[in-house]
Amino acid sequence: MSAPAEIVLSADSAGQLFNCAVFDPHSGAEFLSYRGGNTSSRSLTVLNGEYILGAQLCKNFINVWEIQRKDQLQQKIVCPGIVTCLCASPNGLYVLAGIAEAIYLWEVSTGYLLAILSRHYQDLSCIRFTDDSSHFVSGGKDNLALIWNLSSVVQLDSSRTPEPRHILSRHSLPITDIHCGLMGPQARVATASLDQTVKVWEISSGEMLLSVLFDVGIMSVTFDPCEYFLFCGGSDGNIFQVSLCSTSLSRDKTFQSDSDGNQVFKGHGNLVTCLSVSMDGTLLLSGSNDETVRMWDIQSKQCIWSINHKGPVTNAAIIPAPANMFLSDSRPAIPLPRFSRHLNPSEQGDSTGTGGMCLRLGANTQEPEGTYLEKADELYSLMCAVTDKSVFGDGENTKVRVSELEEEVRTLKKINKDLYEFSTQLLTKPN
Amino acid sequence: MTKKRKRQGDFQKTKLKVGLKKPKADNATDVNFRSKTIHLPEQLKHGDSGPTTHRHLNIKDLLSQLHHFNSNVKQGALVGLRELLSANPTLVEQHASAVLSEVAALFTDKEGSVRAAAVRLLRFIAQCIPAERVAPFFPLLSAHLTCAMTHISEAIQEDALRVLDVLLEHYPGLLSQRHTVLLANFLELISQRRKAGTGLDKSGKGGYALTISTNRSVTAQQWRLTVLVRLGNFLQAVVEERPLEEGVTSRIGLGMWAGEKGSVTPVDVSWEDHVFGKGKIQVFENSGAIPTPRSTYRLRPDSKPGAGMDKELCSAETVQGFAGTLVPLLLEIWVEAAGGQRVQTDSGHLLSAESMALMFQILTILQLLRRLTPQRDQQDILDVWFRNSYLTDFKQHFMKNFPYGLLEVARFKKKADGKRSRQQVAGETVAGANVEPLAVNVTLCQVMVTLSLRGQDHVAAEDADWLGPIRVFIRETLSNGGKLSSKHLAALLEVVWRMIVTQRSRVVTDDLLQAVYVQYQQRNLGVSVRTLLLRFFSQLYIQEHQNHPHIARSKILACWLASLPVQLVLLGSRNPQLSAQLLDTVQPAAARGNKDLLQSLQKNACSLYDPQEGCVVVLPVESQKRLVQILHFLPAFPAELLACLSQVCNTGRVSASLATTLIRTIHLRSPLSGWSSSSQDVPVKDVDYLSFFFTTLTGFSSEMLQALQDTDEDGLLPSSTLSPLSVFTTTLEQFLHHWDVVEVVCHCLDTLGSRAQCFDVIQNAIIKNLCGLVVVPDCVCAAILRCVPRLLDVNFLPSDTLLHFLSDCCLSMLNLLLQLEQSARKRDAVWEACFAALSTVPRLLRLVLQSFRVCDLCEEELPVLAQILSLLLQHTQLRNHMMANASLLQHIIQDLTHFYGGETREQWLTDLLYCYSVTISSQRANMAMRDIY
Repeated sequence: MSAPAEIVLSADSAGQLFNCAVFDPHSGAEFLSYRGGNTSSRSLTVLNGEYILGAQLCKNFINVWEIQRKDQLQQKIVCPGIVTCLCASPNGLYVLAGIAEAIYLWEVSTGYLLAILSRHYQDLSCIRFTDDSSHFVSGGKDNLALIWNLSSVVQLDSSRTPEPRHILSRHSLPITDIHCGLMGPQARVATASLDQTVKVWEISSGEMLLSVLFDVGIMSVTFDPCEYFLFCGGSDGNIFQVSLCSTSLSRDKTFQSDSDGNQVFKGHGNLVTCLSVSMDGTLLLSGSNDETVRMWDIQSKQCIWSINHKGPVTNAAIIPAPANMFLSDSRPAIPLPRFSRHLNPSEQGDSTGTGGMCLRLGANTQEPEGTYLEKADELYSLMCAVTDKSVFGDGENTKVRVSELEEEVRTLKKINKDLYEFSTQLLTKPN
Repeated sequence: MTKKRKRQGDFQKTKLKVGLKKPKADNATDVNFRSKTIHLPEQLKHGDSGPTTHRHLNIKDLLSQLHHFNSNVKQGALVGLRELLSANPTLVEQHASAVLSEVAALFTDKEGSVRAAAVRLLRFIAQCIPAERVAPFFPLLSAHLTCAMTHISEAIQEDALRVLDVLLEHYPGLLSQRHTVLLANFLELISQRRKAGTGLDKSGKGGYALTISTNRSVTAQQWRLTVLVRLGNFLQAVVEERPLEEGVTSRIGLGMWAGEKGSVTPVDVSWEDHVFGKGKIQVFENSGAIPTPRSTYRLRPDSKPGAGMDKELCSAETVQGFAGTLVPLLLEIWVEAAGGQRVQTDSGHLLSAESMALMFQILTILQLLRRLTPQRDQQDILDVWFRNSYLTDFKQHFMKNFPYGLLEVARFKKKADGKRSRQQVAGETVAGANVEPLAVNVTLCQVMVTLSLRGQDHVAAEDADWLGPIRVFIRETLSNGGKLSSKHLAALLEVVWRMIVTQRSRVVTDDLLQAVYVQYQQRNLGVSVRTLLLRFFSQLYIQEHQNHPHIARSKILACWLASLPVQLVLLGSRNPQLSAQLLDTVQPAAARGNKDLLQSLQKNACSLYDPQEGCVVVLPVESQKRLVQILHFLPAFPAELLACLSQVCNTGRVSASLATTLIRTIHLRSPLSGWSSSSQDVPVKDVDYLSFFFTTLTGFSSEMLQALQDTDEDGLLPSSTLSPLSVFTTTLEQFLHHWDVVEVVCHCLDTLGSRAQCFDVIQNAIIKNLCGLVVVPDCVCAAILRCVPRLLDVNFLPSDTLLHFLSDCCLSMLNLLLQLEQSARKRDAVWEACFAALSTVPRLLRLVLQSFRVCDLCEEELPVLAQILSLLLQHTQLRNHMMANASLLQHIIQDLTHFYGGETREQWLTDLLYCYSVTISSQRANMAMRDIY
């Protein structure tokens, strides 16, 4: 059996059969399951394709599995409080956890706690990284979503408290889910909230691009990879598909199902807590509090398969299959260090005696590289230079140049001829 | 022959002969008449040169007369022009260029009366032509204005200011583009350039010295006042005309402190609109991993090349350059104004009205100078520069006698009399003559406070000596119980804001906020003042809270927040705007989990959400929505509150969709819904939750139901054999509202974890609360009939008591259904409920059929029974269930035909028998088919 390109990873809050399990996105067949404990919502994440991290429900630790050893917990990371949401950066260097109203940032390679960001006023509900790990977005029950720049959070000296890059404060009830689109810092972010709206924002400017009003609170949201559609899971079990291609200019609209793209997937009987779209944008995965995970065909809006869980589904996502998952004799490239619980890394380093080294980015990488506008200017001047030369470097210049080249050719020919004669002389010379 | 003659006569040819006179033709005009006069009623009235004045002068004549050497003629021509243009407004458009250029030329006329007439004409024209049409002629106008302002004759200079007034009033935008020239002119008006040789006296004072001329009609002080008033107005225009950029505190009034962080208002760009427009578009860079400072790319540069401006007056350097010359002059004027008084009186802080006005203008100009730079960082640079260069001067001059008061009234009156006579000479020049001392003091505070720097601790001690008096003044002004106008209050609040943010001391913060709070607590404040104070506090809380712990810890702020819910309750429905503003603060504070607010909210929740006069029912829809959203953040829902909320949902004073949201909120807050994972606190107890949902489901409290039992209203349908319950019909509106609510309730109950237990609870509740009732509202019946089949679990058998009650309900509803004609929606709803119950709940149909005891029925009820039966038979889905009870059915029909004693077969009986036979035959056919296969 060849390994599939994508897999479905899901977990429920009962944890009777398994903590989390891996399924085939096309048939719904179960590949693997990981045992031990259960996972709270929006806190199951794959780190670097080598570990699975899941925060234990209502307890203050994070369960870690090596991705190929499904039967055994690798370790438990003990945290200062109950973890409400968890996210590993796509490049596998950082782990973020929301603990009460603070965001904890760990460096994976050393296990140091790099920062505690407490800009939220109430418990966090969701954290997401952009696909290039440069920014992350956090949403909380205080109606706020904050966009953070990872480098500004990590590289700040301790004298200044890190500030979020943008504060998105237009929701009027707690934020339930966040989804980051592709394209790194130029991505769009969708936030879902209990105030019955989903809002789409731009990371670069922090501006709201679109707000869609529904008649139920929205519990989960996702884009398809092309960002043609927005999928929103309602608290009544319906999944709403909103077309983003419409030409209307208004930023606020009310959802109405119609023929061109705005449609409803009906099937779940309770809150739809997680949504995820496959890489090719044809399959939609949804997990609900009615204890089922369903896979939908987006084009025809039919349910392809559904899997019953033993409790409300807390996490369900379609992710690219990690390479190690199906190779039982593989080993993670880096062992996971102990995650520290305190902010001061030097003390921690002394006590454990790891002899770790703190690396600062080199001066050249810290310099802001040219902005896009500057690059565009450069490019433009270059293009201008080319055209300037061809237009204004007219007749005479080229003539001079041509004559120079002709001159050179002549000399070369002469040298060649000399060489020829010399060698013929040499060869034909009677010894 | 006669015939022939005649024919020839028709075409007779006259013979012409040489020498004879030509005979006249028949149709020749006889011109041998004379008339006395010629009347041409509608032709060539004024020649071809258009309308004229009453002196028969057309516009060309008038324009040419403007060049006449005699000033009377010129003045007459100007008056005539005004008359002509006001009579024919179209002419203004046609001759704008000629008229404007000629009039502008007369600004510098020698004769005062001509200039006055020219100004009057200009004022008239300015009213007629909008700014964009004057724009092409404006260089000319301003050139003449400059010429007049710098004229050697002082009378012309004075009149030039009047021209400036007109232009400022009508074309502030155009005028503000010419600031480089005009600002220099202003300086020239009150001062003269120092000669290079005489620069040895106190060389720090800049290149200009004040002029004093004795031959003016007004004193030097008054003249300076008039000039400064204009300068102030001009700077105001420059500041206001500048397109606002983010984070700039340049608007006066409410927005003053609002823009500390600033938000970008994005535009939807349609490039066609921007081809000729002046608006700037900010372009954002998507800048990769490293954030770049905000891009300065602009769609087009600000200054147009045609305007002749080399520099815009928005960078700190240019403003500094101008301020460097102006501020020393202003200080000199201040010293003279203050010092002149000291000769007469001993106390330096009492001033005459005139010096008061002068000082006010000086301070206003200083304030405007700071606002000239639009960008925030530039403003900071400018603040630092002001501090470094002038702090000692300002301290010495301004703060010495602060706060200032007005001189005694008696003296003032005498002076005023004298001045009035002079004022008449000078015209209405002294516009800002009567200035309150409060205004001066407040402006002084504003100017001084900008000099205190943000976030630098080491200078705090230095500043204490002059910030102290300011603080005392502010505290006393705010807390002495007097009413302040909204303008002064806005300025004072701005000062308070700045001091709180810069000083970073908890004592200062509490001290000042206490004073503001005293002002806030006054009764009978005007709406604008109240709004202002409210905005001040809410912005302070929302914006500065995070960055400044000393603000966050302030007791006054906490106290204010805690008082908000009480205010909401007290305010009721009296002022919805104010309530909306209060909610604007309450919601974010609740979302941030502010303890003081939440406690207070919890305490007042029952009065806020009172179903009769609580805010949630009396306020407009938008505020209702906010109140329902705030509900989400309440720490606990006691039983009384839930009782209130249940009634709010059902009384119909909030819309059905809002009631839906409310119910969903409570559902989500309950641990039963399984959404919130945190298990430590339980906002809604399970018992309360279920009783809330049951009460909402029935829509009537037990007291109301009890009261219904004894009434005999006309809405009541009496009970009978066919309708065992006496049905109280509700209005259509109430029924439909309740129907929507029931839908949500059913859905929420449906999603609870264990269905059997949930159904058990509901069943018990129905048995305990509803089963004994005689009079039941129809919406309750419908709700029960709808809810039970939805919640029914397959493995769970409902109790007999419940089934009997259900069958009673069902019968009564079917009976009601036959009487409902008016509303299709209600019929549908009732039928849907009955149908769902009959087809889903086991044994219910049999019970219903069993209760048809035909022998007990009277004559009139037989048709009703027949109709009910045929209704049930007609429905295909019910048919199978009916057939399961075929024997019972047959029995009923036999009885029915038996007891019906009428001779003729009525229509209803025919219908029933037909339906019955169809059902039976289709059933048989099915059986037969089954037998065949």
